[in-house]
Amino acid sequence: MKNEKIFTGFIILFFLLIFAKSLFAAPDYVLPYPDVMPGSKFYNIKLIWEKLSKYWYFGDFGGFKYNLKMSDKYIIEAKTLFEYKQYLLGLESLKKSDKFFKEIPGYLEQEKNENKDISQNIRMLRGASLKHIEVLEKLKKDSPEFFLWQPENSSQTELYLNNAFMDSINIRKGSL
Amino acid sequence: MKSFLFIAYIIFLFLFLIFSYLFIDPNLAFLNNLYTGFAYNNRIYASFLYIVFILVFFIFYGIFYKLIQIKKTPIKDISLSIVASLAILIFSYPVFLSYDIFNYITTAKVLFFYHENPYIVMPIEFLGDPNLSFTHAANKIALYGPVWILLTGIPYIITFYSFIFTLFSFKLFISLFYILSIFLIFRITKNLFSVFLFSLNPLVVVEILVGGHNDIVMMAFVLLAFNYAINKKIIISVLFFVLSVLIKYATIFLLPVFVYLVYASIKRKKVNWGKIFYWSWVLMFSVFLFSFLREEIYPWYAVWFLVFTCLIPNRRIFLYISLAFSFGLLFRYVPFMISGTHAGLTPIIKSVVTFIPPSLVLAYFLVKKLWGKLYYQ
Repeated sequence: MKNEKIFTGFIILFFLLIFAKSLFAAPDYVLPYPDVMPGSKFYNIKLIWEKLSKYWYFGDFGGFKYNLKMSDKYIIEAKTLFEYKQYLLGLESLKKSDKFFKEIPGYLEQEKNENKDISQNIRMLRGASLKHIEVLEKLKKDSPEFFLWQPENSSQTELYLNNAFMDSINIRKGSL
Repeated sequence: MKSFLFIAYIIFLFLFLIFSYLFIDPNLAFLNNLYTGFAYNNRIYASFLYIVFILVFFIFYGIFYKLIQIKKTPIKDISLSIVASLAILIFSYPVFLSYDIFNYITTAKVLFFYHENPYIVMPIEFLGDPNLSFTHAANKIALYGPVWILLTGIPYIITFYSFIFTLFSFKLFISLFYILSIFLIFRITKNLFSVFLFSLNPLVVVEILVGGHNDIVMMAFVLLAFNYAINKKIIISVLFFVLSVLIKYATIFLLPVFVYLVYASIKRKKVNWGKIFYWSWVLMFSVFLFSFLREEIYPWYAVWFLVFTCLIPNRRIFLYISLAFSFGLLFRYVPFMISGTHAGLTPIIKSVVTFIPPSLVLAYFLVKKLWGKLYYQ
């Protein structure tokens, strides 16, 4: 009898764990490889290309994909720059990623207004948000809270890295 | 042409039209009333009937061929046969051999109904769309060139998004390019035999007038390009060549020919059109043969070189190889029709039926050549 209870409890726990895992686990969202980085002579060409490609991604689904793709690209750019301790450039890239990410819900809303089924895109956005948060949490852990950027020939800049990471995380949490 | 032959051909076309409706897709709710399930429940009978139909198609073609050769068929009779094929088969069910026309329509819907870029957004992303239940390449972004996708706006929009009207307006639209191609072949060759060879070729009739494949649109544009090049309007010619490439890309392999034409135009050199069409045939035939590297050799790809076969009908070996391929390729459908699977023996049998007729033709020419050499020795 006691064994039966233990066995039943074990089965319930097993299913609860599986359920909880599927509920909270980040879907397998894959971020891209780093692209051309700031400082490269091709970086400006990349920026022009990105601006032009916005017109290629017309439509609500297109806009959703474009902004998500850009947000992914820039968060990876930021991650790479932070890893090389290029905090000023890294912060700029992070802000760009945030800017594109903030555009996404607007496109979802438009899709919804046009009676398009947005469940797939919501799932994708949730996966992206979780992945972005994962990257940001790691960056927050590995970077200093505050950094004073001191270039050779210009004025210094105060970088509140911790605050920036928290802002970025909150933007992503908003779409979960 | 004997009138009873013409009447027999018309009756045959009507029977083929009815036969096509035995293959209605069970998921095509728009034609639910006409669905019988015959072809899916009686695969052997359906395949047998298909083989008989194709054989009869070629018998008619052979009879017409002979009658034209002995000059017993005036232009009026050929025109009437073309008009009859067009007028009857335009109402045939297009998807009994391939699902491409559904793919054209669904891609057009992504752009013209949902206002999304079909090169970025796949049809499958529009969950709940009724077309998804019968479109086979819904999980792919647009497969064709931008010119084709823009052109599909014409048959798509004019039908006010009604699926059945759209389906047949696509067929009508593609048939217009069939007519244009025939007109251009006649304009270029001034030869009625060339017109007949192309327009009533069973493969062309089945794949274009029934299946509604856009390969004819690509080839019509390339014929326009050649037509303008012949008339020494090289800029318009190049423009039409580019448009052709941007329909289905395959004609990009004619680039060396067009580079030469531009060069000849600049240098004011005389162009040997026989050689131009010869090399065009060789290039398009090579692309056709190597198309298995991309996916597989689809029967409608034969239209790529058949157009040029008709421009140089005196090249006997090209003509017979083209006709043999036309014959063999239409039997590629049979293994799947019987088995209902693309796996197992199906791909091997498909290759065998495709290549046996042209191999026999080649063997015939080889033996004839050897025999000729021995005889004259």
